[in-house]
Amino acid sequence: MSHSPLIGRLIEALRCLPGVGPKSAQRMAYHLLERNRDGARRLAEALVEAVERVGHCRDCRTLTEAEVCPLCSSPRRDRSLLCVVESPTDVQALEQSTGFQGLYFVLLGHLSPLDGIGPEDIGLDRLAARLDGGEVQEVILATNPTVEGEATAHYIGEMVHSRGIRVTRIAHGVPLGGELEYVDGGTLSHAFHGRREV
Amino acid sequence: MRTELRPAYILHRQPYRETSLLLEAFGSDAGRIGLVARGARSGKGASRGLLQPFVPLLLSWSGRGDLATLTAVEARGGLPPLTGSALISAFYLNELLLRLLQRHDPHEELFHAYELALRRLTAVPQQPEWTLRLFEKALLQELGYGLLLEHEAHGDAVIQPAVRYCYHVQQGPLRDASADLHGPRLHGATLLALAAEEGADERVLAEAKTLMRTILAQYLGTRPLRSRELFRQTYAGRTDVSAAHQEDEEL
Repeated sequence: MSHSPLIGRLIEALRCLPGVGPKSAQRMAYHLLERNRDGARRLAEALVEAVERVGHCRDCRTLTEAEVCPLCSSPRRDRSLLCVVESPTDVQALEQSTGFQGLYFVLLGHLSPLDGIGPEDIGLDRLAARLDGGEVQEVILATNPTVEGEATAHYIGEMVHSRGIRVTRIAHGVPLGGELEYVDGGTLSHAFHGRREV
Repeated sequence: MRTELRPAYILHRQPYRETSLLLEAFGSDAGRIGLVARGARSGKGASRGLLQPFVPLLLSWSGRGDLATLTAVEARGGLPPLTGSALISAFYLNELLLRLLQRHDPHEELFHAYELALRRLTAVPQQPEWTLRLFEKALLQELGYGLLLEHEAHGDAVIQPAVRYCYHVQQGPLRDASADLHGPRLHGATLLALAAEEGADERVLAEAKTLMRTILAQYLGTRPLRSRELFRQTYAGRTDVSAAHQEDEEL
C-alpha cells in the first residue's frame, strides 16, 4: 500500500523509536491523524523543544535543560555521597527504588577497550575534578554487572583510592523471590563469591 | 550446517539492531567465528547474562558463511568472575586474538592455552604478567611464528643462562657480540624460563615483556593495543609504592 508523501514521511520518522517497525509506525501515524491531532501537536512541540533545549548537567552529566539538574542543585541531597552510573535511566531506576540521598555522576557509557572507548570518552576527567573538589567522602560504583561495567568500576575504584576516598561497589546476586535452581550460573557464582557474614 | 554445544568463549560483543548481539566467539575446534544472537538483549532469557567475555560456554550455532546464527548457549562453569587488573589483562588476551586470528581457522591448542591463561588470571590475579607472556608464546607458536628459545639462531649452541643475547626478530637469539644488531637484548635465563614455563623472576619478567612486545609489534602493525593503554592509564594515577611498581610492570 502506498501512502501520500507526508504520511509516508511520518511513518518513516516514527520508525526511529525503539521497538517500532513498519507496521506499528503505520498504526501510530494513522491513529494520530485520524483520532488525536491535538495529541500529535503536543508530541511534536514537546519533541522539538526537548531536542533543542535538553543538554547535559554541568555537574553530573545527566540529561537536563537546566545548566545544573534539579538533583544536583537540591539543598536536601547529601553532597558527600556520589553514586556513579552508566546512563541517565540508571539514575531514574535508583531514585525510584533505593531511597539514596546522595548525588550522581553519569558516565554516559562504559570503558570498552576493544571498541576503543577510553577514560576520556566517559567524562572521567570531570569526575576527577569533582573528587578533587573535596566534598565527596564516599563513591558508590553502580556500573552494570557486565565485564565492561566491571572494568569501568575497577578503573574508577583505582582513581578514587589514590585520593584516599572511600569507594564501594553495589552487590550482585540472586534476585529477590528467585529460586537458585533457575538463576543463571554467572549470577549464582557472583553471588557465591560475594557472600557475606551474617 | 549445525554445530551443537561446543566449548567456546565470547571474545567481543556489540549491539546489533534493537535486541540482538553480534558476537565474535572463539571455539575449541571452530577457531574464531562470527555469530548473531537474535533477541539476546531483550527479555529475561538466561542467555542474556551468559553471553559475556570470559565465561566458559557451550555454544550451538547453525549456518555457513561469515556470520552464523547462535541457536543455544549453556554455561560450562568452573571459572569465577574476573575482577580488577586480571580483568583488564583478560581484555588484552581477547584483543590479541581479535587482532591476530583469522575467522574459521581452528586453533585447538591455542584454545587450551587461552583457557589456561584465564584460569591463571583468576587464581593469581595480582601477578598477571607471567600468565600473559606464556599466552603470547603459545599464540606465536600457533600462528607459526614460534620463538627459538633453547638454541642459538645459527648452529646448535645451547642457550646459556648467564650469557646475554640479542633476539633478532627473524632469526632468533644471537650472541650479543656486535653493537649494530637490532633487537631486544636479554639474558639466556629469560629464554630458558620461557621455554620451561617456570622460573620467572623480576629480570625475566622485564626482559620477556620487551621481547614479546618487539615480536608482537611485527604482526600487530601500527595500531596501538587499546587494552594495554587502559592498563597503563588505570595505574598511572596511583602514587603508593606498590602502584609505582605495577605501573612499571604494565602488560
